[in-house]
Amino acid sequence: MHNFVQFVVGGLGFGGIYAFAALGLVLIFKTSGVVNFAFGAMATVVTMILWTLLNHAGLPFAAAWVVAMAIAMAIGAATNLALLQRLHQSSPTVQIVLTLGLLILIEGLAGVLWGYGPKSLPQPLSGTPVSIASFLITPNDLFIIGLTIVIGLVLFVVFEWTRIGLAMRAVAADREVAALMGVRTRRYVSGAWAVGTALTGVAAILVTPALSLDPTMMDQVAVFAFAAAILGGFGSLIGAVVGGFLIGVGSNLIAAYVSTNLQLTLIFVVIVVVLYLRPQGLFGVRATSRQ
Amino acid sequence: MSEVSVSPVAGEVPRRSLRDRRTLSRILPAVVFAVVAIAFPAFEGGDAYVMFTATQALVYGLAIISLNLLIGFGGQISLGHAGLLAIGGYTGALLAIHVSGIPVPVEILAAGAVTAAVGFLLGLPTGRLRGHYLAIVTLGFGVAVPQIALNWTSLTDGRTGLTVPPPQIGNTIFPTPTELYYFSLIVLAVSLLAIFSMLASSTGRAFAAVRDSEPAAAAMGINVTATKVVLFTVSAFFAGVAGDLNAHLQGLVSPDSFPFSLSLFFFAAVVVGGLASVWGSLAGAIVLAVIEAKTSSSSGYEPVILGGAVVVLLLLLPGGLARLPATVLQAARRVGARGRGVRHAPLETP
Repeated sequence: MHNFVQFVVGGLGFGGIYAFAALGLVLIFKTSGVVNFAFGAMATVVTMILWTLLNHAGLPFAAAWVVAMAIAMAIGAATNLALLQRLHQSSPTVQIVLTLGLLILIEGLAGVLWGYGPKSLPQPLSGTPVSIASFLITPNDLFIIGLTIVIGLVLFVVFEWTRIGLAMRAVAADREVAALMGVRTRRYVSGAWAVGTALTGVAAILVTPALSLDPTMMDQVAVFAFAAAILGGFGSLIGAVVGGFLIGVGSNLIAAYVSTNLQLTLIFVVIVVVLYLRPQGLFGVRATSRQ
Repeated sequence: MSEVSVSPVAGEVPRRSLRDRRTLSRILPAVVFAVVAIAFPAFEGGDAYVMFTATQALVYGLAIISLNLLIGFGGQISLGHAGLLAIGGYTGALLAIHVSGIPVPVEILAAGAVTAAVGFLLGLPTGRLRGHYLAIVTLGFGVAVPQIALNWTSLTDGRTGLTVPPPQIGNTIFPTPTELYYFSLIVLAVSLLAIFSMLASSTGRAFAAVRDSEPAAAAMGINVTATKVVLFTVSAFFAGVAGDLNAHLQGLVSPDSFPFSLSLFFFAAVVVGGLASVWGSLAGAIVLAVIEAKTSSSSGYEPVILGGAVVVLLLLLPGGLARLPATVLQAARRVGARGRGVRHAPLETP
């Protein structure tokens, strides 16, 4: 039993990372209605930029992180304004195809610019594991878990209880009507893309010390993030956080009790089962469509 | 995309002549492709690498056409087609290794059938899903299959993979690149015949109806879920055949032969070639095989070209390469009409 709980605790750090990635995905989807399949590749580029800032510009870690976040927001907003905005009246399939094209393109560009050789980043916090009620956890994992919960709560509060959130929900519900009500829809959608890209960027930066930084690093993380978003209902910010932690813990248990190599396969089974039995996820609302 | 021929008298077959532009535009690409494909080795037959690339283009062609059945003709999305190729490849390889003297047509049909069974299972839940959910499920499938192959070492030999013997009928084997090329060409031609006749049948029209509007298709008496499952099964069958051909061409199947990027490249080739265009998909396959042969996989230029082409085409030429002649023609007509009509008005840039 002690071992089991230790494995649960050990999965929370990765859970926070998946939650961050899922938050970025869900925030963009919630506001603009687009599932951004390029989110992982965009986050990888943010991490590559951070790597360059650290290793070639010689910035300290915190400053480099701030600059990388600013660049991430610029990339997200620019992607929406230059590309998605032009197709916002096309069918969802066309928009998915565009983000898939971006996924291929951005991974390729990252390979051309930074090469395929593995790079590494340090953890935000180093240090030996501390013991909490006889369970071991690293300071870095604690940092990730705390950051995830704080950011998740902030997003939730902004989205549900502020005028900005009200406007974003209006844009999500019906972009044309929101525009007629005087909401500057383009600004809000671009804002969601900016913040969403930054959130996924955080996930990529946090996961890099555990993996090795190359252009396709986020492909596998993306599957976990999709699973987290689907588990949470694909439109719920709280759902994304809870789903992220559940997927993180679940995959750590799979690695401990089944096999490290079958993590992705079993997570795929989870996705199919959730979509089949409860398509609205844990926190989503059942929707009917007349497509 | 599919045209419905309604004849005034029941049972009367509408008469088609070669003068009919529609019939001509349907047959012409097939004739051109057949002539070029058959004559190709006579010009380039000496170079084994060229023949390998040409065969790769044929194999990718079948794979991409099978994906286009799903995307272009059926309105579904799949990001896991490399996983289906893997299943076909492993099935064919295992049969060729363990059943000595199995005729290659039997082996290919078996590879297609096993993959079709998997496609059926994949289609069952996905029959209820659409859009990004379908994309995510198929993405997960494509990532999971190589991982299963990696772990099922007793069957697949893990990361080492399986060495595939050349195709064989009776005592005749086809080991040379040119023989393999013609063999793949025959398989592709037979598959194309089957696919074209299916698309012209009621099944093909049901695919298009479901693609264009599910409620409308259901109102016409089409079983939407069953149609989607059939679509996945048929698409998987041809993907499996392509996978077996690919295994013979590469001489090896291993978990690393089917990365996620391969599924993405197939997807890009479908979009670049044009949705619901069989010949466009073949063109996309040739582009893919040539880019693959000309660029090293670790340079990054292959994804830059393919991904960039998808983005640019989507914004500028939504119909893909297959629509290029028509779009150019339209643009030319527009410019011509503009020149005749308003002579003194300044030309605005389109």
